[in-house]
Amino acid sequence: MKKSFFSSIVSQIILLIFVIVWIIPTFGLLISSFRDKDLLATSGWWTSLFTTEINEIYRTAGYESQFKENNNYIIKGNIFNTKTGKKIKSFGITSKNINEFLINEEAIFKDGSKIEISETGDYIWKSQIPFENKKGKRVFITASSPPKFTLNNYKEVLLNEGVGQAFINTLAVAIPSTVIPLIICSFFAYALSWMRFFGKDLLLATVIASLVVPLQMSLIPLLSLYNDISNLFNISSKSYPGVWMAHTGFGLASTTFLLRNFIKSLPHEMIEAARVDGANHYDIFKKIILPLSIPAFASVFILQFLWVWNDLLVGLVFLDQVPSEIIITAKLRELLGSRGENWEILTTGAFVSMTVPLLIFFLLQRYFIRGLVAGSVKG
Amino acid sequence: MTIFSLFVYIFIGVLVCVAYFHLSNFLLDFFTEKTSKKSINDSSIRVIIFIAPGFIVLLIFILYPVFETVRLSFYDKYGRDFVGISNYIWAIQNPEFKRAILNNLGWLLIVPTLSTFFGLVIANLADKLWWGTIAKSLIFMPMAISFVGAGVIWKFVYDYRGPGDQQIGFLNAIIVFLGYEPQAWLTIPLWNNLFLMAVMIWIQTGLAMVIFSAALRGVPKDMLEAARIDGANELKIFTSIIIPYLQQTILVIWTIITILVLKIFDIILALTNGMWQTDVLANLMYDWMFRGGGDSGRGSVFAIIIMIAVIPIMILNIYRHKEEQKI
Amino acid sequence: MKKTIKLILAVVTSIFVLNTSAFAGSYSGPDLSGQKVTISGPWLAPEDGYMREIASIFEKATGATVEYGGSDSFEQQIVIDIKAGSPADIAIFPQPGLAANMAAIGGLRPLSDDVKKAVMDNYAAGQSWVDLATYPDENGNDQFYAIFYKVNVKSLVWYSPDNFEDNGYEVPTTMEDLIALTEKMASDGNTPWCIGLGSGDATGWPATDWMEDIMLRTHDPSVYDMWVSNEMPFNDPRVLEAMDFFGSFALNDKYVNGGSKAVATTDFRDAPNGLFTSPAECMMHRQASFIPAFFPEGVEAGVDYDFFYFPAYSTKDLGKPVLGGGTLFAATNENQATMEFLKFLLHPEPNEWWMAKGGFLTPNKNADLSAYSSDTFRKLGEILTGATTFRFDGSDLMPGAIGAGSFWTGMVDYTNGKSAKDVADAIQASWDSIK
Repeated sequence: MKKSFFSSIVSQIILLIFVIVWIIPTFGLLISSFRDKDLLATSGWWTSLFTTEINEIYRTAGYESQFKENNNYIIKGNIFNTKTGKKIKSFGITSKNINEFLINEEAIFKDGSKIEISETGDYIWKSQIPFENKKGKRVFITASSPPKFTLNNYKEVLLNEGVGQAFINTLAVAIPSTVIPLIICSFFAYALSWMRFFGKDLLLATVIASLVVPLQMSLIPLLSLYNDISNLFNISSKSYPGVWMAHTGFGLASTTFLLRNFIKSLPHEMIEAARVDGANHYDIFKKIILPLSIPAFASVFILQFLWVWNDLLVGLVFLDQVPSEIIITAKLRELLGSRGENWEILTTGAFVSMTVPLLIFFLLQRYFIRGLVAGSVKG
Repeated sequence: MTIFSLFVYIFIGVLVCVAYFHLSNFLLDFFTEKTSKKSINDSSIRVIIFIAPGFIVLLIFILYPVFETVRLSFYDKYGRDFVGISNYIWAIQNPEFKRAILNNLGWLLIVPTLSTFFGLVIANLADKLWWGTIAKSLIFMPMAISFVGAGVIWKFVYDYRGPGDQQIGFLNAIIVFLGYEPQAWLTIPLWNNLFLMAVMIWIQTGLAMVIFSAALRGVPKDMLEAARIDGANELKIFTSIIIPYLQQTILVIWTIITILVLKIFDIILALTNGMWQTDVLANLMYDWMFRGGGDSGRGSVFAIIIMIAVIPIMILNIYRHKEEQKI
Repeated sequence: MKKTIKLILAVVTSIFVLNTSAFAGSYSGPDLSGQKVTISGPWLAPEDGYMREIASIFEKATGATVEYGGSDSFEQQIVIDIKAGSPADIAIFPQPGLAANMAAIGGLRPLSDDVKKAVMDNYAAGQSWVDLATYPDENGNDQFYAIFYKVNVKSLVWYSPDNFEDNGYEVPTTMEDLIALTEKMASDGNTPWCIGLGSGDATGWPATDWMEDIMLRTHDPSVYDMWVSNEMPFNDPRVLEAMDFFGSFALNDKYVNGGSKAVATTDFRDAPNGLFTSPAECMMHRQASFIPAFFPEGVEAGVDYDFFYFPAYSTKDLGKPVLGGGTLFAATNENQATMEFLKFLLHPEPNEWWMAKGGFLTPNKNADLSAYSSDTFRKLGEILTGATTFRFDGSDLMPGAIGAGSFWTGMVDYTNGKSAKDVADAIQASWDSIK
């Protein structure tokens, strides 16, 4: 008993290490998606979890806000402008020495004016002669900053016009593009496993070989084929059925391969018994193979769905980039802006688009197990 | 596209597909009812019904582009003039090509092996623990992230800032914390390949784990219990019962990941774009096919080399298929 | 904002009504009701919105409908679309090299002589803009294909005036001064430059801009032209000299933020952040006119940052060379509305509309400089028009396999320690292999 307790602890620790190593990059992304976009490129995501010391530059108000008091010209305000929870420790007035003064000490500018800053960022700037500078003076602060998160990135992505529409469009692409190959390939895989016909080995070899066909090289031949067909019937070459068929084509090899491996592994006595009883292949498929293959269907469904959902290239090439057809990955790329990547949209977008695949995984995981249990009872 | 038309679309799309199989088989049954039962089973019409849709899709979406690519590999960059095998000669003499082949070999050795191994270990550990489902979900998560997202994640892991500056890359932050010099991970030749592979392993382990986890439930419980009663420890059970039982599954997963690795391209495109000697065949293909207007001849050569590389895997699988037939 | 634009338009309109130029007033075109123009290009938010607004001016004037679709993988998609035979009517090319490639496979339709003449007459240095848009067609005959709309200036150095003031630095006006300033900054313990070459699958391009700017400042423009067309080999001593000049900044750990190792790994979008940190991580950043889009939020032009012209040597008599880039509009289908839309882009109205939005420069002489959204852009516009030599981004003119391939990767290798000679030899070898 003791021994198994010990080995269970070891298993727990090993698994925990795996989980931690695997989760850290994603966790970093999650934290980053709640951070202010300018912080993303200047400090590590883990720093935002704790109170940290930061160095920042702020600018005081300009001359317009000055008033006169006891022969002194005064500009008053708060350098943060908004409540931040930051606590200033020291400050400086030139970039050469950014923590020359402690809070509530008086710093003297070249022109003789004096400035004092409190812990919360309130400042008083006094001068004996009127202020003339249009822009305010720079103040360099060293402050402790409490953890701070924002929902702005999510607002920007989710409230953006067209993201919801793109979500629906993607479902319209992804569901048929997953179900159709599943249906076609299950029959195909069954035939390759249990039917006898001429050229079966060659066909199987072709399927396996086509697993490696790089997607990118098929795009031009296929799109020109689509164009020829669309010109013949005078319809648009870019449409939902077109993209379904493209995904079916690109997913055919792997789906067939996986399903065949599963169907082939089912006990052949069962199938032979059914055939002796006079069942035809369609009956066998419907009544025996289908119920038993549910777990395999679930895993193939997940994989194909993930692939389609995260696809960008096929959606770009086989659909028009108009609001009624644009898919979520393409829409997110559009939000990134012309010249590149706004990290905050990428991080947030990655999580928004992850929700559906993860939901499917969690939903099907239960189904997965139920299917297996049912299968073993019947078997 | 409204939600209503979404359902209509999905319904029609799926219905057409189901209707094809159901109606065709129904008609076949209807017209052959009168003949003897035996002939129905091996009716070649039913074979055609079963394989026709898959075969046609295979023909149009895979075989046609492959033949087109083979043709283009013998033509100039515009696909207009026949140039014989000069594109192939060019490729063989190209130093990038040699490097890409070596890099691809590295990927093929390391990624499928480690992903399969980790996936098996995790699936085996997780199935025994009460929080195993949570652990599996977390490890599966990278599978759900697009390559674009994964690129950003790992950019932030490998990021490099000069010594003395605040590191924003997690790996360098740890290194600096431990008192070492920060490294520009992705620029160190040879090692950087390993850092790129880590991304692929991170993603594909989830795939291996999910499939193993399903397969593990098929391991006969009484066999495990018998071994436990005999006093075998978990490691022994793992190596002498579970691994042999899962041999088939291991081979399948290894094949799938190997094939994914042969096509690997997005991760390298996002993180190094093949620079610092990290290029692989698929990147060269992409570069020549599309960059700056494209050279379909040279791009096609790389595509064909990738396809040829799979032949050994194919032979292995067909051999296995033949072995099964014998039983 | 809308009001000011209307006001500007009203002012502009009234100027041109008085002017009675051929292109005066707001745009009015032929009746094209029922016709449709589709446009595809690389512009995404916010430029896609501007493009659609510009298109709506055309729609209102002619009754035609215009649809714009943007894609960040435009350069790949247009190749697929043109080769497959289903491109949009107008393609917006980010660089001439790709347009030339598409012309060579017969994917583009030549523009009429009167459009060519209009570019010649109305653009500053019209002949150079015409030459940049003239390529051989599939039969090898030179044809005029495209109109430049929205250009940028590259020869700029960005800095923080406050940081300069705190340290007592002066804006350099000659290359000698710039080199001396760089040395002074380093000896003061400051880091002079922020350089970042990272750009995803285009990593390396910022270094090619450095090279081009340096070539224009060390040699006659004709040498630059020979270099770009490979009449002079890439491994010519003059090119190696330019590369080593870039190296004297980028490979000196004291001169560049994060040291030379950080140059290739820093993203070009993150690189300028060093100007605005506390304490400043660097003093200067050489980059094109679009870079303020990537500055941290809240920094203000003219207050927190400014720019100066990347200066020329006072001892070399090469004038004031300016390096620039731009996007080209080319037709892939020959229909009336498409051709009319291209002519429309030569009219002042669509130019001034975008000038008021910012981020847009035009060589169109008829456009009113007062339409620029800020003094910063007006200053940029003046650099463009005040140039004694204007040269287009050389890497965009080189064949794609070089200018968007081995030149980029070569410069990355160079910052990673490979010698200039080895890098240049490798680039020349790749150029030889595509001839």
